[in-house]
Amino acid sequence: MKLPDNRGYFGEFGGKFVPETISYCLEEVERVYHKQKKSKVFKKELDFYLKEYAGRPTLLYYAENLSKYLGMKVYLKREDLLHTGAHKINNALGQGLLAKAMGKKRIIAETGAGQHGVAVATVCSLLGFKCDIFMGQEDIERQSMNVFRMKVLGAKVIPVTTGSCTLKDACNEAFRDWVTNVSDTHYLLGSCLGPHPYPLIVRDFQSVIGKEARVQILKKERRLPDYLVACVGGGSNAIGLFYPFYKDKKVKLIGVEAAGFGLQSYNAATLVKGKIGVFQGTMSYVLQDSQGQIKNAHSIAPGLDYPGVGPEHSFYKDTKRAVYGTVTDKEAIEGFKMLSELEGIIPALESSHAIAYLRKLSKKAKNRLVLVCLSGRGDKDLDIVRQAQISADTKKRR
Amino acid sequence: MRLKEKFNQLKKKGKKAFIAYIPFGFPDIKSTKGICLALQEAGADIIEVGIPFSDPLADGPIIQQATTVALNKGATISMIFEAMEKLKKSLKIPVMLMSYYNPILQFGRERFFGRMKKAGIGAVTIVDLPVEESLEYKKTAEKFDIDTIFFVTPVTPSKRISKIAKASRGFIYYVSVTGITGPRDFNYSSLKKHIDILKKKTSLPVCVGFGIHTKKQVKVISSFSDGVIVGSEIVSFIAANHSKNDFLKKLKKQILSLKGDG
Ligand SMILES: Cc1ncc(COP(=O)(O)O)c(C=O)c1O
Repeated sequence: MKLPDNRGYFGEFGGKFVPETISYCLEEVERVYHKQKKSKVFKKELDFYLKEYAGRPTLLYYAENLSKYLGMKVYLKREDLLHTGAHKINNALGQGLLAKAMGKKRIIAETGAGQHGVAVATVCSLLGFKCDIFMGQEDIERQSMNVFRMKVLGAKVIPVTTGSCTLKDACNEAFRDWVTNVSDTHYLLGSCLGPHPYPLIVRDFQSVIGKEARVQILKKERRLPDYLVACVGGGSNAIGLFYPFYKDKKVKLIGVEAAGFGLQSYNAATLVKGKIGVFQGTMSYVLQDSQGQIKNAHSIAPGLDYPGVGPEHSFYKDTKRAVYGTVTDKEAIEGFKMLSELEGIIPALESSHAIAYLRKLSKKAKNRLVLVCLSGRGDKDLDIVRQAQISADTKKRR
Repeated sequence: MRLKEKFNQLKKKGKKAFIAYIPFGFPDIKSTKGICLALQEAGADIIEVGIPFSDPLADGPIIQQATTVALNKGATISMIFEAMEKLKKSLKIPVMLMSYYNPILQFGRERFFGRMKKAGIGAVTIVDLPVEESLEYKKTAEKFDIDTIFFVTPVTPSKRISKIAKASRGFIYYVSVTGITGPRDFNYSSLKKHIDILKKKTSLPVCVGFGIHTKKQVKVISSFSDGVIVGSEIVSFIAANHSKNDFLKKLKKQILSLKGDG
């Protein structure tokens, strides 16, 4: 079976649920992508930038202290060491070169935490595109440092004040801009989300994570891991790690979603708590109310704070190829501290969800071989963690 | 009344359709009925009622704000049907619905079309459901004899136009601009060229929407199409005037003026 099929479906998930004008925009992206995918020149150029500019291949690090502490053998795929500090640059470089092949002059993107926005602004500066980043007003306030980073890189950050003023609204606004300016503009979507062909394109560009990891672990351990673990926002770092292991049925795949304040409260656990629906161009699990209105998500990790999820994950879930667990805000902070204190590696709050999940996994996976995607570094989150610490301390004193 | 009948009637009189769009539940749930009746009295030929959605990808700020208000007031699909069932006797002109797909999917396709039938609503258009994805939906709509209206845009390739024309019933919605809803200026000659091409490929009426907000635009665009859809302009008029005295009277006057009858 081809995943996705020609219509962009992974089983019953995916597709292109978009206004007629966007259908046209998507067709152009699809056509050029399929052509470039086969081009040796394109591949060579992308490989060059991934290696010489972004710093690939990333290390696969055996986390000895963490392993001892948890009683499992844990390897970290160090996407945090990439230029700009997260896996997002893999996709931004790929799509940046695609936009060049399409002859576009301007790139737009949505961002929540600002990580994808920074990656896109970086690539635009490198490849010479005009760059406009849509960001919810609320996120602009939460992530002021990344806003400034994007500006330093020459991008314009456009505040989005509609809806809930967060990532999903920034996405809507980017689509609206795209239909209006498609002749010179490429929309560089940041995760394996949205209408076909985005889930395919982003997965392909992120698959470098899993391809490298597979070779590296075979070299170091002479066998495949028992478990792969990755956090799931839209799902791009997870699918990038999982996909090259898809056919290795013995390798168990675990995606970790954000349980936010808890599964009975505000969260971003789309696969665990959502219902199947159509949101932002794709059929997938969605956090929604009984009327089909999209709910506001919550996670302490801005990059996970989104009420949708990539259709390929919905397919993995329903076919039981992967399982999806959850980690609360509080547990994520514990994971953040655990890795920082034991290994001297400060993880992004998004990645901290994957790390925190290891605690739960260690109860049933003693001595097993586990490979975790460390999707980003935590410098951007120090303020959030400090704030959380302060409010936890004052609660204790009361 | 069904769309077909309406367009036949207009044709006989040598007139074009004036289609008024309003979001349900704006400025509040109970005002939609009065607004519909006022639109009819002012001579609107068809009323298009929008089902509010939290993430209206194809809409500009004016309609976004209105649908957000409607959702905050608690608007639901059931309420729309309840209101329309009550209006069934007094509304003589055709009513159609406009929606994004997810609310309908969650309501249930069968249930949705069944309720449409019961409320006397004969047509629906879904913004984010292109023909390729519409197989099941079309089938169910046909079962309940509901017209499905699809969109053609300035960038729709000719092969696709034929596919869309085949799937459409009632009329074809020509989107006048590559962009979102909200006031725009037009290049009439290019617009006319596109409409002429489209009309060669279909025997259905072709109505033009998105961006139309002046009396002149209504007049010129009607002259080379089968009708116009006016949305944002009516919505912003409602937003600005609903709390004033004689609001419905003012609304009627505004519609008459847009139609060129006032
Ligand atoms: C470091 C990091 N990890 C993970 C994510 C979540 O995205 P995805 O699920 O697409 O990998 C983000 C998003 O901003 C991120 O910055």
